[in-house]
Amino acid sequence: MTLSADVTCRELGLLRHGQRVLDDITCAFRPGELTAVVGPNGAGKSSLLQVLAGVLDASGGTVSINEQPSQSIPAAERARLCAFLPQSELPSWSVSGADLVALGLLPWGRVPDRDERVRTALERVDGKDFAQRPVTQLSGGELRRVQLARLLVGQAPLLIADEPTAALDIRHQLQLLQTLRGIADSGKTVVLALHDLSLAARYCDRVLLLEGGRLRAQGTPRDVFTPAMIGEVYGVSCEFRWRDGEAEFVVFDLI
Amino acid sequence: MFDNNKIALGLLAGALPLALVAALLSGPVNIDFAAALQQGWRSENSDAVILWQLRLPRALLAILVGAALGMGGAAMQGMLRNPLAEPALLGVSSGAALAAILLLYYGLAWQSGWWLPLLAIGGAFIAVLSVWLLAGRGASASRLVLAGVAINAFLSALMALALNYAPSMFAMQEIVFWLLGSLANRGWDQLLLALPFILAGGLLLFASRNYLRALTLGEATAVSLGFGGRRYPLALLLGIAAAVGAAVAVAGTIGFIGLVVPHLVRPLVRQDPARLLWASALCGALLLLMADIFVLNFVGAQELRIGAVTAFLGAPFFFWLIVSARRGGAL
Repeated sequence: MTLSADVTCRELGLLRHGQRVLDDITCAFRPGELTAVVGPNGAGKSSLLQVLAGVLDASGGTVSINEQPSQSIPAAERARLCAFLPQSELPSWSVSGADLVALGLLPWGRVPDRDERVRTALERVDGKDFAQRPVTQLSGGELRRVQLARLLVGQAPLLIADEPTAALDIRHQLQLLQTLRGIADSGKTVVLALHDLSLAARYCDRVLLLEGGRLRAQGTPRDVFTPAMIGEVYGVSCEFRWRDGEAEFVVFDLI
Repeated sequence: MFDNNKIALGLLAGALPLALVAALLSGPVNIDFAAALQQGWRSENSDAVILWQLRLPRALLAILVGAALGMGGAAMQGMLRNPLAEPALLGVSSGAALAAILLLYYGLAWQSGWWLPLLAIGGAFIAVLSVWLLAGRGASASRLVLAGVAINAFLSALMALALNYAPSMFAMQEIVFWLLGSLANRGWDQLLLALPFILAGGLLLFASRNYLRALTLGEATAVSLGFGGRRYPLALLLGIAAAVGAAVAVAGTIGFIGLVVPHLVRPLVRQDPARLLWASALCGALLLLMADIFVLNFVGAQELRIGAVTAFLGAPFFFWLIVSARRGGAL
């Protein structure tokens, strides 16, 4: 079983409803790295993540995982390589929190220590109390944490989450990023779409900045998050204060 | 709470053999049950013939058809992620019904023997295939529902046309009665014809159980969990068509079992769409068998059709759904 996932995208393009939503994206995601995909609304963050996760087929270019073209990997094997949390994932039935988390183990078939894994995953998102509660009775943020536990419960070496911090309160946002940071440090490849540039700057190794479906910049947060670049892409004036490699992001105004 | 659910399911399973005995004791003629049982199914004695050749196959058919409809409904709801979905929604029942009506139209129904059920199964397959082709590759649930509604409307129009131009009052009456659904005058032939198709359909649905589970989280997540590609929905559609088509073929259109039953048992399986399949099969079998016991014990000038009985169960159920939704309950 592969324990790491080295992901490479070459000249990735995607057409949806006749519109080019991704254009000529070349980038890489390495084991041990926590990467944030950032950009304004409609920049193509979700599309890129869905193509990476194999939910959408690219119209051009290639995604390869461990140098094997992603499309040639059988679906069941790919599911064991890559776990994906979409931006919105409303459960259709009011299963319990623990049962929802256990769905993340489906790619592995029968798992002997299933209950133990589910419990650990829920603990990682501070969600022990949700195990027996019907998921339709949870608040938006509580449901999001259960879904994150679903993402974390498996053994996939590649984790992709689309705006995992949306709907979370500030404490759980920090806690989640710390958890994901730890997961990346253990050798997994973690890719997140984030809106919060402070979180991206503080916790992520690398940042991909998308604009209009194109890759505007990539590199360390310090390289990418310059007032000039943020001003051009987002239309805001801002300042990053760096302290021991960690950053805080201050927005001053609209330009 | 979990244990209570298991007890409830156990009670339902235990009620089935009791209901079967009650069904064998029900009918317009009083028979010496113990004697008929002892004489065996080869006996020419009239009581034994009534028990072994009339009542037993009818009761078993009620169990089989009820199980197929309950399971089909559970599978449809899981596939479309919608608690209001029913096999009838995708035109499966209508497809089967139309094929049978064409035979009835030409007065060939009961002379045709095996053709009636076979054509009905074929009709269900064609209907479900049309829906699939109409919805296209990688269809979302909403597109599939829309395609089902369109196919269903078209088939209903054809059925209305068949009724409109029915060659005789007799043919029209036959069609109407058949559309009401009935288990009367069905024997071992019908049972044995439906059985392999319903079993095959059940196996396909059972094989799709983890796909149904993954679909709880939506189509994108299901794909990411390894259930990408057409074969998963196709296996589900074929399973539903085989089970429901065969059931409609031998019993006519019996509505609402596929809608009501999954709703009733969903809390007992902790909302798991996979375990819901067999629980709905069990509960559907029990419900249809009890409806048939009611029909058998109903005294009237005309035979009461079982489809009319299940419709009386279904309509109040919709009202109850509306009331519980307005009170803030989940639909």
